Amino acid sequence: MRILDITLKDLSQIVRDWKISLFLVVMPFMFTLFFSATSAPAEADARLPVGVVNHDPDGVLSARLIETFEGSQAIRIVSLKEAEESQVDSLIEKETYAAIVIIPEGYSRQLLAGEDIRPEVIAISDRPAGHSAVTAIRGDIKRVLSAAKGAQLSAEVADSRQPFAGDAARQAYLEEGITLANAAWDNPPISTEMKAATRIDTERSQSTNPAAQSSPGMIVMFAVFGLITSATVLVAERKSQALQRMLTTPVHRWEIIAGHLLAMALVTFLQQAVLVGLGQFLLGVDYLSAPVGILLVMAALALWTASLGLLISALVKGEEQVIIWAMIAMFLFSALGGAWFPLEFAGKAFSTIGHLTPTAWAMDGFQNIVLRGGGNGSVLMPVGILMAYAAAFFGLAVWRFRFE
Amino acid sequence: MNNGKAIEVQDLHRHFGDIKAVQGVSFDVRQGEIFSLLGPNGAGKSTTISMLSCLLQPNAGDALVMGHSITRRPMEVKKAIGVVPQEIALYPDLTARENLAFWGKMYGLRGKTLGRRIDQVLEIIGLVEQQKRPAGKFSGGMKRRLNIGIALLHKPQVIIMDEPTVGIDPQSRRHILDNVKELNRQGMTVLYTTHYMEEAAELSDHIAIMDQGQIVASGTHDELVKIVGKQDRVELTINTESERVLPAWQAIDGVHKATATDSIITLLVDESDRVLPRLFEAAIEAKVHITSVTIQEPNLEAVFLHLTGRALRDG
Ligand SMILES: Nc1ncnc2c1ncn2[C@@H]1O[C@H](COP(=O)(O)OP(=O)(O)O)[C@@H](O)[C@H]1O
Ligand SMILES: [Mg+2]
Repeated sequence: MRILDITLKDLSQIVRDWKISLFLVVMPFMFTLFFSATSAPAEADARLPVGVVNHDPDGVLSARLIETFEGSQAIRIVSLKEAEESQVDSLIEKETYAAIVIIPEGYSRQLLAGEDIRPEVIAISDRPAGHSAVTAIRGDIKRVLSAAKGAQLSAEVADSRQPFAGDAARQAYLEEGITLANAAWDNPPISTEMKAATRIDTERSQSTNPAAQSSPGMIVMFAVFGLITSATVLVAERKSQALQRMLTTPVHRWEIIAGHLLAMALVTFLQQAVLVGLGQFLLGVDYLSAPVGILLVMAALALWTASLGLLISALVKGEEQVIIWAMIAMFLFSALGGAWFPLEFAGKAFSTIGHLTPTAWAMDGFQNIVLRGGGNGSVLMPVGILMAYAAAFFGLAVWRFRFE
Repeated sequence: MNNGKAIEVQDLHRHFGDIKAVQGVSFDVRQGEIFSLLGPNGAGKSTTISMLSCLLQPNAGDALVMGHSITRRPMEVKKAIGVVPQEIALYPDLTARENLAFWGKMYGLRGKTLGRRIDQVLEIIGLVEQQKRPAGKFSGGMKRRLNIGIALLHKPQVIIMDEPTVGIDPQSRRHILDNVKELNRQGMTVLYTTHYMEEAAELSDHIAIMDQGQIVASGTHDELVKIVGKQDRVELTINTESERVLPAWQAIDGVHKATATDSIITLLVDESDRVLPRLFEAAIEAKVHITSVTIQEPNLEAVFLHLTGRALRDG
């Protein structure tokens, strides 16, 4: 109970200066907007929208074709319903889509049987978007076509040596052939080990929103900044000897430390909560896709910054020194921890060094969710490591803590 | 409890590096009395108080407060005492009432009990009108009163006050001294430290005179004053350097101690009525002109001078 009394006293002292509290939220939000704006063009999805109508839903080659479209750098496909097929012309005219591809019924079966059958591509090719889309689509169709041819040829050779047990066996052989051919296309210099039948699940590209980097980045950076408020309260308390006076009342030392730690953690937690809210609803950063995971990261980050605040207030004498040290910590931890730019951009060595900072793990925690589309479980390791840092900083702070 | 003793101090020692702040201090404070530690700055009063309020561990010795050892049962001691530190230890950005509320909670008070007690304390320290103002905006005297009020919230059996009247206006000092007497009248035991002998004389049932980490004398006011006997303290200002007349005055029968700074000479004399004319005679003979004379009957200042050879104020 006394712990909470101390926490509430600290919080009431902090909010007394409401301008500072506002600053804690407004500043990082402005920075988020600024960073998002400067990095927007490079990250935005500039791929051309292409509508696809698939009348060969169970076919192996139509599936392959759609997969190839999905991997395209040039186009972004949207599958159309039957109903929309009748409006194809107007959809193209209104530039809803740069092109529309209609895969005919029996596409896979006929193609494998050696018949000449092609998807229908509708576009206005003297428009630049239409022209680019058609070029990309033709390339992809050709790629599937040659895979089919290759598979077919090799099947004929195999059949002549040792006939297939039946149609099903022949079909299976063909499908494997196509998969292999496709994989080969993905990696032009064919290596003998290349056997990958499924694509390696690379990071789901959600980096269409630049705020997915800057929003968590500024949350992490300003969480370190935010502890200035609560650490200053503690240092002032020690200077006025009120902290020492507490020791003449029936309060345990650990209760005093816990009360202050909790205040510090709550300040940065609330600060993060507001910024996550602004990020989610104003900037479209998808924090709430894994709410429990986000809460865990926020709590771990709050505990670590609180321990850092406790440590700083244990080491310094005056309020001005709190500000200096918090600023140093903020710049150091946010630059190294990837709050300003993704650590991967700076190379492997830098990323490795960066991950010695707790802030890098906080960034990982947030970005596993908002950038890489991970679920609640994806934060467990970052949160664990962040908590270990919190414990280490807390131990150091308690060891150096002074009441006078 | 404990034959009516609220505090029993047994041979306390405390040093800071080479500085021996407290060296072998012992005294008893009886329940219901006001006990003063009187001594100049640096005498070791605050260090003694800090040990009694469990802020500092003694290097040797122990003390019992309401029967609880300060080294073995600090929590019990803390519940029994209210401590008024020498510094104004409160939150300048919180109002008087908020300060009292917070400290009351530290002493374990809650809800209605706390609210009622805050009202009572505000009444005692005379800050009812100003309770909603931030403590940082108070005058020195008001801050001192609030500093005291905090220690009264939980109605402690013993209140320990460390120089609670330093640096304030006479009115606030009067208020505080009256508070101390009133609290004592209601049954609180008071341990009071000061370097103002008038305060010690006015308030105390018992006084211990402290100097250089030791208690040099203790007793009631009258007992202490008897140490210097019937000696009066005579302070004379002359129009020239003291050396011109000092030897002649020291030679006069009935003059005991003489100290001089520039043209002010302080003497301890038996029966000033008899000695004074002879001082004037000697001055005329030495062609020295006396510009002012003050005579003080025996007091604690004189006792301190007698015991240590130094004045209390600039100790
Ligand atoms: N924390 C400390 N560190 C070093 N020296 C101290 C400390 N506290 C007190 N002292 C020294 O101990 C002596 C007694 O100080 P103190 O108890 O404050 O005297 P008083 O309260 O009678 O003025 C002084 O010489 C003082 O400088
Ligand atoms: Mg002192």
